[in-house]
Amino acid sequence: MVAAARPRRQPDTPEVGTGSVEQFHAPAPLSSATVERVLGKVRKPGRYAGGEWNSVQKDWAATALKWCFAYPDLYEIGMSNLGLRILYEVLNDRSDRLAERCFSPDVDLADELRAAGVPLWSIETRRPLREFDVLGLSLGYELVCTNMLEMLDLGGIGLTTGERSESDPLVIAGGSIVLNPEPIAGFVDAVVLGEGEDVVIEISDELERLGWHRRIRVGGIGERTGEWRRGVDRATALRALARIPGVYVPSLYRARYLADGRFDRLEALDAAAPMTITGRIAADFETHVRGVRQLVPNIGIVFDRAQLEVMRGCTRGCRFCGAGMQSRPLRERAPDVAVDAAEAILRATGYEEIGLTSLSTADYTHVREVATELRRRRPQTLLSLPSTRVDAFTVELVDAIAPTGKRGGFTFAPEAGSQRLRDTINKGVSDEEIERCAQLAFDRGWSSIKLYFMIGLPGETMDDVLAIAAISRRVLQMGHRRHGGRAQVKVNLSTFVPKVMTPFQWDGQDSTLEIEAKVGALRQAMHGKGLTISWHDPTSSILEAALGRGDRRLGPVIRRAWQKGARLDAWDEHFDYPTWLAAFAEAGLEPAWYAQRDIPTDERLPWAHLGAGVSTAFLLRDRKRALAARATADCHWGPCANCGVPAATGFACQTGEDGPRTLLVSVGDEGRGWRYIGPPGDPRRPTTASSAGPNALSGSGADVDGDNVEAGRGERRDRPYDLPGSEMQSKDAGPDGLASPVEAAGDESTG
Amino acid sequence: MSEVKQRWRLVFARDEEARYLSHLDAVRLWERAFRRGEIPVATSEGFTPRSRLIFAAPLQLGMLAEHELADLFLAERLTAPDLRDRLAAGMPRGYRVVDLHDVWVGAPAIAPQLAAADYRMTLLNVERTALESAAATLTAAERLPRERLKEGKSIPYDLRPLLLDIRAIPPDPKAAPPEAAAAMTSVWMRLRHTQDRGSGRAEEVVAALADEMGLVASPASGGVGGEAEADETRAEIVAPAARAVIEVIRPVRERLWLVNELDSEASSGGVVG
Repeated sequence: MVAAARPRRQPDTPEVGTGSVEQFHAPAPLSSATVERVLGKVRKPGRYAGGEWNSVQKDWAATALKWCFAYPDLYEIGMSNLGLRILYEVLNDRSDRLAERCFSPDVDLADELRAAGVPLWSIETRRPLREFDVLGLSLGYELVCTNMLEMLDLGGIGLTTGERSESDPLVIAGGSIVLNPEPIAGFVDAVVLGEGEDVVIEISDELERLGWHRRIRVGGIGERTGEWRRGVDRATALRALARIPGVYVPSLYRARYLADGRFDRLEALDAAAPMTITGRIAADFETHVRGVRQLVPNIGIVFDRAQLEVMRGCTRGCRFCGAGMQSRPLRERAPDVAVDAAEAILRATGYEEIGLTSLSTADYTHVREVATELRRRRPQTLLSLPSTRVDAFTVELVDAIAPTGKRGGFTFAPEAGSQRLRDTINKGVSDEEIERCAQLAFDRGWSSIKLYFMIGLPGETMDDVLAIAAISRRVLQMGHRRHGGRAQVKVNLSTFVPKVMTPFQWDGQDSTLEIEAKVGALRQAMHGKGLTISWHDPTSSILEAALGRGDRRLGPVIRRAWQKGARLDAWDEHFDYPTWLAAFAEAGLEPAWYAQRDIPTDERLPWAHLGAGVSTAFLLRDRKRALAARATADCHWGPCANCGVPAATGFACQTGEDGPRTLLVSVGDEGRGWRYIGPPGDPRRPTTASSAGPNALSGSGADVDGDNVEAGRGERRDRPYDLPGSEMQSKDAGPDGLASPVEAAGDESTG
Repeated sequence: MSEVKQRWRLVFARDEEARYLSHLDAVRLWERAFRRGEIPVATSEGFTPRSRLIFAAPLQLGMLAEHELADLFLAERLTAPDLRDRLAAGMPRGYRVVDLHDVWVGAPAIAPQLAAADYRMTLLNVERTALESAAATLTAAERLPRERLKEGKSIPYDLRPLLLDIRAIPPDPKAAPPEAAAAMTSVWMRLRHTQDRGSGRAEEVVAALADEMGLVASPASGGVGGEAEADETRAEIVAPAARAVIEVIRPVRERLWLVNELDSEASSGGVVG
């Protein structure tokens, strides 16, 4: 739809005539007048203007391989993504390569670009997307797939692998949803499974070795017309990528289906195509922090703070949680590494707040010592952390780092109303514990408590649903006793979405009627002052589940939905379910068949050739335990559940084998004061302290972004980005916390 | 609250990459720049202490600038080169510190001393002669009754006393669009900018010029005039689409003037036409 000539001319470059210095592809950027006239007509033009702190502008003529990270959602979401901040730094650390950024344009800009015939450009140097060598797509949520098509189209790139020319960039996707990339398989040239830090370097090395970035003039005419070809053809490049561990090249396979519509099998079409692919795990997570010079936006974004990932992976084993199951094994940053890195990040960004991120930071062994030391060093800095734990430790922790003044809402996620159902989903928390937590939060000054529950979990009965009302009312009564009429309980309901590579991947969603009946009954049982219930229309959850468990036949459906105008589906104001239903119908398919069907466990799954470490045998075993409402212990503290990660990934688990582990500091031992142990070799450090932590490598594939931000995206509308969000601010603040000698750049060697 | 040891008057410019920031975005950006540059900024009292940086006048989203003013209060004394280095170390692309002056800590606040602001912008689809005569008409008028939207309500006011000077100037070469076939010229204006006696808005003057020429002014680039307002006005403007539309590009606030500066310039026969 974008009409602009290609390929473009070589513009003036600063190093012309230096002979020995190789000149690389350097098309002219869009003129600032062109950009200005388009941006003059759109809302929030600051999203597209660039100039952010720590953003990198490089000379195209002097850089070989050129990446553009295309984040298929709005700037405010994409810039909040820690994975993007990390990979941007990893690639730009090489002076002879570059990585730029582009985010989904809002609908107003997309329409302006089409009307003006201007291609979508990269933020840093304003080059059309098609001029890059590699387009890196970060897919963290099922409903962004139409944004991906919109970006490709506006960027002047062929939508499917078959439609791409030899000069188009390679389109490579990563992110948490690519563990089942089959629905989008036709749109991407390659998929990176697991964590991206190392593999982006390997991909870059391979493409440069092959000459993918090279433009060779075609004949004598080429000198005048500017026609060129790449140093290697597309098919050869793709076959080479398929040999890199963790890289999946969908076009090297063909999917077969049975006559009744079920998936049959995937056939390899090329000798280079491996039959199973397992997600990557980045090396040295415990001791090596990447993403220090984090991008700092000029306009407000969703997560407007620095982020330090203190832990990767999760061993809680909640059976509905894709992120937790797919990101094993657990790796924790050594406390001295975490503290120094946090300080380096704060210095490099100027941020006033830092989030200690992971899937559940209260589970991070060193969370208290890291928080204490950070507060000591930088008393002015606000701290925040997400936690999925419902226990006194979390409340104590948040209480310790939260300001003592006004206190808003405290959030817990019991996920299910009854003890039985919580055992089924392995969210092992009792009614008594929930009440104890609520009491503690009320006692510590919070007057409002938010409770998150899921509706439609496997095995759920109406009794389980009504138990949500019962526990919520009990919590409210406790609040009334402590805070009188000010007390509030806000209940937030979301619809269960089966995630691939979890024990519930075979379980269908409830039908819309069932969900509505359950929510209706719950509403009736929950009314009264101080009790509010919020619930989101479940149609987007159906689509999430359908795309999440889909196969390659959904590719045309996605494309059709986009053609019919589906864009920015993750946003309420744009999501239109009838559009999607019509697109499914045209392909003779139904979202309900994908989303609501209970898949027999002996049926072959469209994503069976891909893996995240956790074995299918374990998932089946764990599902049996779920049906019997039996818990599986967290191997961080308890025995090994034989999830299969070490065998699949080659990484040794340090948990589970030495028997149960304990927190370094237990709640109540020392009240709010706890001691920083100090770096290795520090004389203050007790010899008995668990210094063994960061040595043995353990690891597993989280999403390529390595970030809990994306993990939470499945429930974008219903979830806060960080559960019990909290801030720390100390009154006796002074600017003396700036004394660390840590360099912002750290020792960021890559690859 | 920290004790103020020094006060600097910053003169700064805002370029392409920072032009689409709202005032709040800009405040946050400067605070982060101070932290990155490790500048010992004095902080205000309160639950969330803010850096003591006082802008003379907020700059609209979309507006470029060449000579903005702000007072920065420090808790420790710095030399000018040191402050300059530290500012440079922390400022993102798009902001440039043009000059800085050590000001007496007890000097009067900056905003009440403002007298005027100069603007320069390029108008597409406007002939130079048409602009010249429209500008002359505005200058000759006794009153220029206009309405301004404020919180959804329309408030009538007179633009004429706020318009100190206006003239057509040659087109800004940087503003040339690639397909610059349409007529294009630039306008320069000096508007009153005071705390107590009102301030003129450049886009209001452009709208008045457009009325005079029988044209419609499209909202200036990047929604100059604030995002919410730009949205409201756009809906109204699109309706009478029959008339040709003036497109405003590269709006620049050239300079803010303090009362004493303007006085001395007037007496020395400066640029005021």
